[in-house]
Amino acid sequence: MAEAVIGNAQRSLWYKIRIFVNSHLINIFAGGLFALLAIFLAFPLVMVFIKSLWGDDGFTFSFYQEFFSYNFYYWSFLNTMILGLSVMVILVVVGFCFAYMTTKGPHWMRTPLKICALMPLCAPPYIFSISLITLFGRNGMINNFFNLDLNIYSWTGVIVAQCLAFLPLSYMMIENVLNSQNPSLEESASDMGASEFTIIRAITIPLAAPGVLKAALLVFVMTIAEFGNPAILGGRIPFLAPDTYLMITGEGDFNMASVLSVVLMVPCIIIFIIHNYILKGKGYTTIVGKPTAVDPKDMTPVIKYSILAIVVPVAIMILLSFAVIFLGAFVKIVGVDNTFVIDHMLNMQSNTAIYNSVKLSLMAGLFGAIVGTLLAYVIMRGKFKGRKIMEMLALSGFALPGTVIGVGYIMAFNSPPFLLAGTIWILILNCAFRFLAVGVEAGISKLHQISIEIEEASADLGADFITTFFKVILPIMFSAFIAGFIYTFMTTMMSLSSVIFLVTPGFDLAAVYIYLTAQLGELGLASAATVKMMLIVVVCFASLKLLAKKTGLDVIEKK
Amino acid sequence: MGNKETPMLELVDVHKSFGDVKVLKGISASISKGELLTFVGPSGCGKTTLLRIIGGFTPITSGKIILDGEDIADLPPNMRDTKMVFQSYALFPHMNVRKNIGFGLKLQKLPQKKIDDRVDKLLSLVHLDGLGDRTIDRISGGQQQRVALARSLALEPKVLLLDEPLSNLDANLRVVMRDEIRNIQERIGITTIFVTHDQYEAMSISDRLLVLNDGVIQQIGTPSDIYETPDNRFIAEFVGYVNFLEGKIESFDQDSSGLFLVSTEYGDISLNKINERNFDKGDEVFLVIRPETVTLFPSDAQDLPNMLTGKILHSMYSGNLVKYTIKCGDRELLIDQYNPKDSIKFKRGDNIKFTVPRTVHALPKKG
Repeated sequence: MAEAVIGNAQRSLWYKIRIFVNSHLINIFAGGLFALLAIFLAFPLVMVFIKSLWGDDGFTFSFYQEFFSYNFYYWSFLNTMILGLSVMVILVVVGFCFAYMTTKGPHWMRTPLKICALMPLCAPPYIFSISLITLFGRNGMINNFFNLDLNIYSWTGVIVAQCLAFLPLSYMMIENVLNSQNPSLEESASDMGASEFTIIRAITIPLAAPGVLKAALLVFVMTIAEFGNPAILGGRIPFLAPDTYLMITGEGDFNMASVLSVVLMVPCIIIFIIHNYILKGKGYTTIVGKPTAVDPKDMTPVIKYSILAIVVPVAIMILLSFAVIFLGAFVKIVGVDNTFVIDHMLNMQSNTAIYNSVKLSLMAGLFGAIVGTLLAYVIMRGKFKGRKIMEMLALSGFALPGTVIGVGYIMAFNSPPFLLAGTIWILILNCAFRFLAVGVEAGISKLHQISIEIEEASADLGADFITTFFKVILPIMFSAFIAGFIYTFMTTMMSLSSVIFLVTPGFDLAAVYIYLTAQLGELGLASAATVKMMLIVVVCFASLKLLAKKTGLDVIEKK
Repeated sequence: MGNKETPMLELVDVHKSFGDVKVLKGISASISKGELLTFVGPSGCGKTTLLRIIGGFTPITSGKIILDGEDIADLPPNMRDTKMVFQSYALFPHMNVRKNIGFGLKLQKLPQKKIDDRVDKLLSLVHLDGLGDRTIDRISGGQQQRVALARSLALEPKVLLLDEPLSNLDANLRVVMRDEIRNIQERIGITTIFVTHDQYEAMSISDRLLVLNDGVIQQIGTPSDIYETPDNRFIAEFVGYVNFLEGKIESFDQDSSGLFLVSTEYGDISLNKINERNFDKGDEVFLVIRPETVTLFPSDAQDLPNMLTGKILHSMYSGNLVKYTIKCGDRELLIDQYNPKDSIKFKRGDNIKFTVPRTVHALPKKG
C-alpha cells in the first residue's frame, strides 16, 4: 500500500503559499474590488449620512429639524417630488403614444417618430434648457416673432425640458413592452368583436402595465436627480439637486447639503429596491413559439388623430430644439443676429473643455470597464458570501443622484487618507464608479452565455486565475468590456451633476462649461460646445449599435 | 515500480456534503496504472461530483485523494496532474484547434517548435490532421470532442478524467467515439476515469466499473462481475433487465455435486455452489434471472431439471430476438429468445415450459 504518502505536512512553506494563492486568487481579487467599491461608492454615501447628523457639537438631529422648519428647504423637497411626479405622468402618456404609433401605427410614420423619440439620447439633458431659452427666453426667437411674453424660467420651462430630456427612457421601455406583446392577442380580441379602443383599454394597457410602471419609476428617479435643467431654468423655484450645489458653493454649508442629499437619496433608494427586487421579473410573456408577421391594421381615426395630437407637437419640439442648437452654434445670436460666425465653434476655452472631457472620459471609461468586467466575473463566479451586496453596490451608482455622490466625494476625499480633491483622479473615480452598472450588467449577461466549464478547463490545463482571466475570460467577454467602456465614456462626457462639485477652477469640462455659459446667457458658446459634444456622443452610439449588431450585446436597450 | 501494488490513484474515505446534503458518503477505491475505470450510476448518485473532486473543481469535505503517492486533496486544479475532458468540451471559442490543444503546453513555457510538434502528433492521434487552423465553431461535435481529448492528453497527465464525454453526440457517433476513446486509451496506456449514466456504455468501454448510488459504492468490478454476479438488487436492476424469483435454501449437497436446492413458489431449482457466499439452510434468497439465460420449450416437452411452467402473455419480435412476457404463477417474467429464425415461435396464450440454468446468481434477501 501507499506507505509514504506526501501530505500537507511534507510540503515546503513556499509550496503551501503557492497552493493558497492559487486556490484563493479569485477571492483575493474579490476582496480588492470590494475595498474599491467600499471606498469609492459606500464611503462617500456614508459620509453624507454622517455629515447630515454630525455637527460641531457631535451627533444631532438639528439639521433635519432645520430642514423641516424652513419652508425654503422643505419646499425644495416638495417641488422636487411634484416635478418628478408631473414628468412621470406626462412621460408615461407621451411615451406610450410614441410607442403605440411606432409599433402599431402606419409604417411610414414609424421610423421618423422613433428617431425623434430617441434623439435626446445623443445629447445631455440640459440641451433642452439651452434650446428653450433660445426659443422662449427673454430674447427668444418665438417670443420675439409672435410678440409673446412667455417666461421660460418657470415650472413650465423645467417640466417641458425634463420631459423632452427623458422621453427616450420612457419611450424605449414602453416600446419594448409593446413589441413583446403577441399581436395575435389583439387579433383574437378583434375577432371577438372588440373595437380598437376596447383592445387598447382591455388588452394592450393591462398587459403593458408592469413594464410601464417600471418605466414610470425610472423616469421619476432620473427626473428628481437631474441637476442641469432645474438649475438653469428653475430660477427662484427651489429644487433639491441645484439647492445642494448652491448650499456648498454659496454657503459652504456641508451639513445642510448632506441633509438635502439624504432627502433626495431616500426616494431613489426606495425606487431602486422596488425596481430591482419587487418588480424584477414581473411582466407578461405572451409570445410563445414563432411569432408571425402581421400586417398593421388601419388605426381607428379618432385614436390615430388623438395620439398624433400629442406625438406631433412633441416631435416638432425635439426637432426644433436640435435645430436651434445647431443654428446657435453657427450664427451670432439666434433670432437676433443671424449672421454666420465660426467663432463659437472655434472658441479656445470651449475646445479645451471638450479636450479635457474626452481625456477624462477615456480614463474613466477604461477604468470603469476594467473594474466592471472584473466585478461581473467575481460576482458571477466567486464562491464567497456577500456577492449580492457587491452587486447591489455596483449597481447603486446608477440609481443614486449624481449630486449626492458629488457631495459625498468632496467630503470623503478632501483629507487623508484619501486626499484626491483637486486632482483629475477624483473625477475619474467618480465617473467610473457611478456608471459602473452598465459594464457590470453587460459583463454578467455575457458570462451567462459562457459555460463555467471553459474556465475550469483553463485551470485544469494549468492556468492560474490571472492567466485564465486575461487569456480566456477577457477575450470572450471583450464585447462586454468594450460596451462598458463606450457607455462610461459617453455618460462621463455628458455628466454634469456630480463633476460640477469636483472640478477645480481652471480645469474646464465640457458639461460644466455648457452649464456656465448657458447660465450667463452665452447661448452661442453653449450651443457650439453642445454640438461638439453631441458629435462625439453620436459616434459612441454608432459604435455601440455596431457592437450590438456584431455581438448581440445591446447595452442601450438595457439601460 | 510494482504497478499492481501501488495504485496510480487512491480514494480514501472521501466524503462530500453540500450544506446538509451528503452527496458522497465515504468513497474508497483505487485505480491502477493504465486502467480504465468507469463511475456509473443514476443521475444524482454523485459520480460527477466525485470526478470533479478528483479534478479539483469541487472541494472535498473529508478524506484523501492520493495521486501517485501524494495527497492532492488540497491542491487547486491548476496544480494537479489530472486533466479533464468536460461534458460540454469547454473549448476556448476564441482560439483555433491548434491553439486549444497547445494551451496547456504554452503555459508550461515550452518553445514554440516543441509545442507545434506535439500538437501535430496529437492531431494525428485523434485523426484531425489538417484541421488545426479551423476555428472551433467550424468543426463538428465529434471533432470538438477529439480536440477536447487531444487538449487534455497534450500534458500527459497521470490520470485522464472524462465527464460524460459522449452525451452530446448522436447515437451512431457515440459508438464510434466510444471505441475510439478506448482505442487511444489502450494505445497510450493512460490511466483513465470515465463517467457515464449509460450502463451499456460503461460496460463496453471499461476495465472495471464503480457503481455508485446515493453517494455509496454499490460494487466495484469488471463488467462481467457486475452483470453476472451483482452484489445487490440495485446493481442487478441497474445493468440490464432482470427477473427476480424469491426462494429459500432447502438443502446443500456437501459432498457430491455441490448443488444447492432452492425452493420457490413455482418449483424447486438446483444451483451450482454459488458465488462463494456462505448460505445456510433456510436462508431466503433472490434468484437473479437474466432474460437471455432462460430457455423456452413447448408444453409437451419432456421434463428436465430446473424446469418450470408458464404461459405466453405477449411477444415482441425485433429481428435478432423475440421478447416474450410470460406468466408464471402470479408473476410476469421477461424472456429473450435469441436467433428466432432457428427456434420455435410461440404465440400469445401458448402454454410453455422453461428452464433456468444452474449458474443463476443468488442474492440474500436481507442485507
